[in-house]
Order: sequence, then C-alpha cells, then structure tokens
Amino acid sequence: MKTKAQLEFQQTWRGSLSDYVTAIAWSPNSHFLAACSAAGELVLISLSGFQSTLLQSETGYSVDCLAFSHDGQFLAIGGQDGQVKIWSLQSGVPELITTLENKSVWVDCLCWNPTKHEIAFSLGKYVQVWDADTQDVVATLNFEASTVLDLDWRRDGKYLALAGYQGARIWNANDWDAEEEALDVPSATVAIAWSPDNQFIAEGNLDSTLSVMEWGNPAPWLMQGFPGKVRQLAWSEVPTNIGVAMLASCSGSAVVVWERDRDERIGWASRILGNHQGVVQAITFQPNSLLLASAAEDGWVALWHRGSRLIQSLTGASNGFSCLTWHPQGHQLAAGGLDGELLVWSEASRGRGFGGR
Amino acid sequence: MVAADIPSSVPVTVLTGYLGAGKTTLLNRILTHEHGKKVAVIVNEFGEVGIDNQLVIDADEEIFEMNNGCICCTVRGDLIRIIGNLMKRRNKFDHLVIETTGLADPAPVIQTFFMDEDVRSQASLDAVVTVVDAKHIHQHWDADEAIEQLAFADVILLNKTDLVTPTELDELEQRIRSMNAMAKIYRTQDAQVEMDSILGVGAFDLSRALEIDPNFLGEDAHEHDETVGSVAIAEPSAMNFDKLNAWLSELLRTQGTDIFRMKGILNIAGEDQRFVFQGVHMLMDGRADRPWKPNETRKNELVFIGRNLDEARLKEGFRACLA
Repeated sequence: MKTKAQLEFQQTWRGSLSDYVTAIAWSPNSHFLAACSAAGELVLISLSGFQSTLLQSETGYSVDCLAFSHDGQFLAIGGQDGQVKIWSLQSGVPELITTLENKSVWVDCLCWNPTKHEIAFSLGKYVQVWDADTQDVVATLNFEASTVLDLDWRRDGKYLALAGYQGARIWNANDWDAEEEALDVPSATVAIAWSPDNQFIAEGNLDSTLSVMEWGNPAPWLMQGFPGKVRQLAWSEVPTNIGVAMLASCSGSAVVVWERDRDERIGWASRILGNHQGVVQAITFQPNSLLLASAAEDGWVALWHRGSRLIQSLTGASNGFSCLTWHPQGHQLAAGGLDGELLVWSEASRGRGFGGR
Repeated sequence: MVAADIPSSVPVTVLTGYLGAGKTTLLNRILTHEHGKKVAVIVNEFGEVGIDNQLVIDADEEIFEMNNGCICCTVRGDLIRIIGNLMKRRNKFDHLVIETTGLADPAPVIQTFFMDEDVRSQASLDAVVTVVDAKHIHQHWDADEAIEQLAFADVILLNKTDLVTPTELDELEQRIRSMNAMAKIYRTQDAQVEMDSILGVGAFDLSRALEIDPNFLGEDAHEHDETVGSVAIAEPSAMNFDKLNAWLSELLRTQGTDIFRMKGILNIAGEDQRFVFQGVHMLMDGRADRPWKPNETRKNELVFIGRNLDEARLKEGFRACLA
C-alpha cells in the first residue's frame, strides 16, 4: 500500500475572486463548482472546460455561506446583506428564482435537507426552513439562547440540529412543533456534524472541547486538551474496519483525528496531525476513502492517508487557504484562499486511488 | 511551511454610558473625524448614526458564560462572531467602535479581547470611553452598571457640563476620581472633545506609561464613601518576583471577582527591565518591558480598581513581597 502514497494530485485549474473566499462547493451531480467571497461575489464554474459565470458581482457585503441541494438542482447563498438567494440549475442555465429579504441580520449558515428541496438558514436567533419547490416557509425555529452558530441536517433528513450558546438543539423535521432535544455543553457549540450513518453527532465547542453523542445514548463522550476552540468537524463517508466513520476535528493549527475503538474503555482513540503552522480553516474526507484533506492559513493544503500519514502538500495561496471541497467522485479537490484564490487539483492518474480504506 | 505575514491589528474603541448621556453624539463625532477611513460600528442601541459608507452592525449583546459561570470566562458571543466575520476582508477596517447599552457590564467586552484567540489576533483594544451625563448621573449611583462603566473606563467624558454648576462638577469629578484613579477625565458639552484624547489612546498597550492622577497618589486619606474605589500603590524598592507572583495569583484567585481592573509597572530585583502587567478580573497579562533608563528612578506603581478593596491589606500584602 505504501508505494501508492506518492504525489498524486496536480493543479489543473486556477481562478480568482477579488477577496477572501468564504465558501466553496462542488455540486453533487458534479456539473458545477461554486465559490463566494467576502466582497459579495458568487461564481459558478462549469466543469466542462472550466467556464466561469459570475452570478453575483462585488456588492461590498460578504457572502458567507453557499450550498447545492442534494441533487444539484438548486444553489443557495446567504450573507451580510440578510438575503437568501436561490438559483435553479435545472435547465443547465442558472436562473435566480428566489430572493428572501431579511432586515438587519446576517445569514451566517445554511444547509439543504439531504433528501428534498428544503433549505434551513440562520436569521440571528432563528432558523427558517424554506421549501424551494412550493416557495413557502416550512418552519421557523427559535434557538433562543443565542445567534445560531452552525446547523446540520441528519442524512435521512429527519432531524435538524442547530448549534450555539449552551450547545445544540435538535428538531424533528416530521413534527416541527414537537419539543426539541437539547445537547447541553457548558460553553457554546461553534460547529456541529452528524455522522453519515446517522448514529453520532459531534459538537465542536468554544471551550476547547469536542462532544460526541451516540443517538439514543444520553451520555456523550467529552474530548479535551485542544489548543483552542474546535472550529471545524468532518466525518468520513466510509467507515473504518470496525464499522464506524472516522471523525476529524481542527483547533488552532492542529488537526485531531478520532477513531472509534473496539475497547469501550478507550471509546475513541485520537491522533494529532501537527504539521500545519497556521490556523486550520477546513477539513474534509475524500468521499470514497479515508483520505483527509486539511487547509490552513499557513498556505498549505495537506493530504493525510487514512487520516494519519501526510502524503502530499499542495500550495497556491501564499497568505493561506480558507475552504475546501472534494469532487463527488473524489478525483478532484478544490480550495479557496484568503486573497481570493481558487484552485483545482486532479489526481494525476485516475483509478489508482489511495487503496480505498 | 511558511509562517504567514503578521496581520495588522485593528484598533477598537469601546463606548459605554447611559442612554441619553451623549454616546451617539460622540459616535457621530468619531465617524466624522475618521472621514475617509473605514470604520465599522457595532451598536446595541440603535441610535441615529448618520454617516454614509460606514458599516453599522446592529447586534444584540450575547453573553456567553463558560466554565460554570466563572466571571472571567464570560465573553460576548456576538463580538466573537461579528469580528471573525468582518476580519475576513482584505482591506478590513481602519477602526472598530463597539457601542454598548447603558445597562451593559463592560467586563465581558474587555474579556473577549483577552480570551478569544481569533479576536485577540485580529483586533486590539484601544480604550474604554465612558460618557457621563453630568446632570442625571445622580439618578444612577445605585445602579451597578453605572458604577462599573466608570470603574472600567480609560477615558471619561463628563458631558452636559452646561447643565450643572462648577461646584457640582468639581464634586462629581472628585467622586469619580475616587472610584477610578487611572482614567483621564474630560469636561465636555455636546461630547466635544479632541479626538486625540479618545482615539489612539493605547490604554491596553502594556508599554504605554501608567498614568495615575498625581493628586490621588499624593493624598494620604481618601474618603471612601463608595464601595467601588481605587487603590494606588507607589513603592521605590525592588521586589522579589516569585513572592510577588504568588501574592498576585492568590489575590486574583480570592478577590478577582471584585477587582475590575489593575495595571502596574514593577521594579524587580536583579532585573534591568521594567515589568509591566494589566488585568481584568482574574485575567492577567504581563511581561518584561523596556530596560530602565540610566537616569530613571526605578519604582513600582500599581493601581487596583474594584469593589470593597481593603487598601491597608493590599499595601501590606504588596510590601511583604519586597526583595
């Protein structure tokens, strides 16, 4: 296996926006790559020939979040202007179909239901769930404790988790009026992520801790010893050999990878990937393997074989990287930079892969 | 891997004071003065901020208590979120002004700048400026917030001086001075003050000189009719660093809740450099500073501002740390 761990990814495209790339995403049907900036731009890049279309030019208001619907038919953005804009990509030509205006509030995060055309977005202390087909509000949720800092749908679309001060609260998407479940933490949760098998939910916290809860088990695991706030989380799509997804977390310049152990007394075994020298801003697993990519403000994107061994370092944003996304088939990786850089790397020879698991 | 350039830190002015004291007037003066510069303003009370091209962010104060409500671990969640978002832009901002409501405790704002790793690395506190309505402050002496806003201040504007007599003003200034021996006090009408007095003050810059009102230092007996007051210690002799460190740690552990702010310059035995420190409640930040100059008189100067401070005990505790 080790002989395969050689330089595999090469830069195949480079573009730019005028300021900090706040978010980047590949559409699930792999037709498009989208990126937005702190200057308010939104660019849609067609993957046949890397043709760029500027869906929104500079506005002066940062676009802070962006997401494709599960089938790639819709693209939504939100940001400092308080608007949520939705484009339909059904005809192949992007068409702006919805602009939701909200006064004096920033839309900090948004997330599509993984099973249907419903999108949840934050409006300060509230989250609104909007149906892009019927063009109607499905639900308005009140988080109460603070502004919503992150949100995530369970993969089956049955639950929506909101994070903020004092932890997370989980709403039942089949009964929005039902009492929500609280996952309390003694500080604030800044990042939340469901595992792909719907079994676990992880919370990255402001007090330098990580909590992991098994669905249905009231006692969460609490992981401590991080150098700072736990700002990002990523679960692997494929499980490890004991059948549980791998969990990556980042804090300061450290990436910490957690693997469920057979031994209950160990619970989750961790290892620190300490090569970065700047704040790690994004982490994400290759969709079909345990290859982990991390992007940091030190100007490096690092690739970690099985979430442990550094096998390649990619550069191209000298002042640092801010975000990352894998192609749905995993043979391409895209990243955005602090100065507006957009980069795509492709696997040099397709099909060799990294040996799967 | 190459270390990125050290990002330039944006100065932050915190504006406190009761509704109607003149905060919005002062804010508009700052914005007019900073014409041509990019100023971001975070407001908690939506006043009439009437300047174009400046980013005004209306936010609710979100107090995040961490660590079981420990007072020094209380920060402002809204500021962490907003500052993190604003600082992504390449040409960022030249200046950030945070206006708090009249009912706000200034401590969590200041502590956010000590505690949060992102806020700390991207922005630096310049000064806490408190605007006081010289005529109506008397209605608020019973309110903790009014007292705390004075106790935490680096600069105090006694505003609306035209509405009170000179005698009343003298009494007011004396009363405020007994609470806060460190702040610069200016008498104003319509919040008219030289901008250099409130911007670029560097009150949280450790290498700036500590300024204690000489009159305060000179007086032997202060009339402490307030529970909130200042204790200043001036002592020329060299100190034992280890003893001092142990004393300060113990002091903050046991009385940190009641100590609002402290600042000091220390003359440490065997060291050629000054040692400087400052603190907010239990959070302390200190380091070796520049060397003492050859013709400079080496000395210790400390100020504590807090509630129910025992002056005699503080002085005794400090002197027990002499080398």
